[in-house]
Amino acid sequence: MNNLAIETNNLTRHFGNFTAVDSVNFSIKYGEIFGFLGANGSGKTTTIRMLCGILAPTSGTATVAGFDVKTQSEEIKQSIGYVSQRFSLYSDLTVEENLKFYSQIYGIEYRHEQKRIDEVLTMTGLLPWRHRLSAELSGGWKQKLALANAIVHKPRILFLDEPTAGIDPISRRSLWELLYQMAEEGVALFVTTHYMEEAERCNQIAFISQGRILTIGQPNQLKDTITGSLLEIECRPLMKASRIFEELPGVVGITVYGTTLHLNVRDQGNIQSAVVKIAKEQNIDIISMKPISASLEDVFATLTKENK
Amino acid sequence: MRNIRAIAYKEILHIIRDQRTLMLIIFMPFIQLMIYGYAINMDVKHLATVVYDEDQTALTRRLADSFEQSAYFDIKQRVSSRAELREALDKGKAKAGLFIPVNFTKDLLAGRGANLQMVIDGTDSNPANVALSTSQAIVSGFIQKEGLFPVQVSPIDFRPRLWYNPDLKSSFFMVPGLVGLLLQLIIPMITATAIVREKERGNIEQLLVTPIKSHELMIGKLIPYICIGMLISVSIITASHLLFHIPIRGNPLVLYGLTFLFLIVCLGYGLFASTVAENQQQASQVIMFFAAPSILLSGFIFPRETMPLPVYYMGYIIPLTYFVQIVRGIILKGLGFFDLWDQVWPLALMAVIIVGLSIARFQKRLN
Repeated sequence: MNNLAIETNNLTRHFGNFTAVDSVNFSIKYGEIFGFLGANGSGKTTTIRMLCGILAPTSGTATVAGFDVKTQSEEIKQSIGYVSQRFSLYSDLTVEENLKFYSQIYGIEYRHEQKRIDEVLTMTGLLPWRHRLSAELSGGWKQKLALANAIVHKPRILFLDEPTAGIDPISRRSLWELLYQMAEEGVALFVTTHYMEEAERCNQIAFISQGRILTIGQPNQLKDTITGSLLEIECRPLMKASRIFEELPGVVGITVYGTTLHLNVRDQGNIQSAVVKIAKEQNIDIISMKPISASLEDVFATLTKENK
Repeated sequence: MRNIRAIAYKEILHIIRDQRTLMLIIFMPFIQLMIYGYAINMDVKHLATVVYDEDQTALTRRLADSFEQSAYFDIKQRVSSRAELREALDKGKAKAGLFIPVNFTKDLLAGRGANLQMVIDGTDSNPANVALSTSQAIVSGFIQKEGLFPVQVSPIDFRPRLWYNPDLKSSFFMVPGLVGLLLQLIIPMITATAIVREKERGNIEQLLVTPIKSHELMIGKLIPYICIGMLISVSIITASHLLFHIPIRGNPLVLYGLTFLFLIVCLGYGLFASTVAENQQQASQVIMFFAAPSILLSGFIFPRETMPLPVYYMGYIIPLTYFVQIVRGIILKGLGFFDLWDQVWPLALMAVIIVGLSIARFQKRLN
């Protein structure tokens, strides 16, 4: 037995000739929030499905809560909670009926059932709405109910597949507060997301593209890998400049941020003079230019560009 | 066990809160019972009749009266020309016309052959046939009663009898079969919708990561629909007894046991439809596809014996065909389980095939 919530070892899944997940390796400790980032179709959901024990890996191994995904999927299902992309609620059931259903499915003893439901309702703030039909809840509350359903059996590991897609920033923030609270209580959280500011909140993040993990580490570490090589340029016309600078030798990546461009470059000194020179030739006005520290989005943009 | 109960309880909540399903379960049996029990009346009785009595004797009046008394013909109008009689039939005011020519009484009493004409609207062939043979019977009965000819002594004493439904009430024919029709129309539809809905909303995905087993999920979901099916059957059979005075001659236990068997076929069919359909609309299309042939070819309304051979054989692949024979056999004829063996085994075979097939497909789709 080890202390890890999730550990994978060259986890791989093929669908015919297509490799959806390719030799993925990572480990997640209890109490840790692990951010899994990647574009649609990059292999995130396939990875989750394998870890939840509902899809067998083609090769490689993984243990979840100490259980093998290939042979002990029933034990895994008891130890995990899963919040899916679509809020899988029964909209014609009330908040409490939804919770009651899941607590029975997870085999919570009858005498503990009501107590646990009240606990979860209180924790998520759903208590005032316990008798309301879940169809009548707003998006943010629906997602909290989905979370409540997934944790009614006190799982030690929680999977959240894009849990905040399509909900407002305030609800998103209060959902994250719940996630932190759970992490503090020692629950391991595996979160997939598109939002970079959410990725910043994770203890550890991994970028996946075309089934491969491009990089993995703490957000700050990842940003450090490209910091010092990032140049912010405010210039006009923006899109023309973006096309021209992209062709410069030494430019690895370029991203548009509002009225500025973020250039990811190999060598700061040489590139600055090159930018000034070509801007003059092409009639591009440079308003300002300065080295900046990287954001996760820059990391993501750079990584996906390097791997094309 | 607890999982099955949790699923079944949740399913009942879904049913209670879904107006469409509720309407289907409550009103459909009621409406169908009214339609097939009262409105669709194939009994030939009280046929509107006009009489043109050219002869106008006491005998011809008694003849007309004997038509009136038969309850098959209602004399609505007496006319005084053949043109009027024709007009009454043309305009549909009457379905039958009796023409008694002048000299009818004289010819009859003189022992010469007398002419009597009965005109029947043949547009609807079934009642026309009945009216035709009934009118012949009335006339020969009349002649005997009047003692106009000595009763012929025949070496054969021919006494036809109608068994099982001596009064030829069509409700006897329609209402027991209705149990089968309603199960066939309602059960696959609500079962398929219930399962497809879970899939459509993405709830299945959530259930997959819970410790629930697929057979628990399926049994739990089906239990409420089995109860609904049995409830519908009991209500229809009770109603047929109370409202239409249909005697239940066979063993009710055998009746309900075999109803349960048919119910399993219907559930299996709904389950099957749910495995081939992606959404509720597709599911209802798959189900409606078989509903019409089932009603028409099973012998529920039209006797199968008069169908062209290929159509007749098609009836054998329709479960309702067997069940209609079973229900009528038990209720009207008082048949027992072994009398109905020829109907029971194909139905049981169908149940095994459709349920087995659906379970295989259901589990494959889950994985």
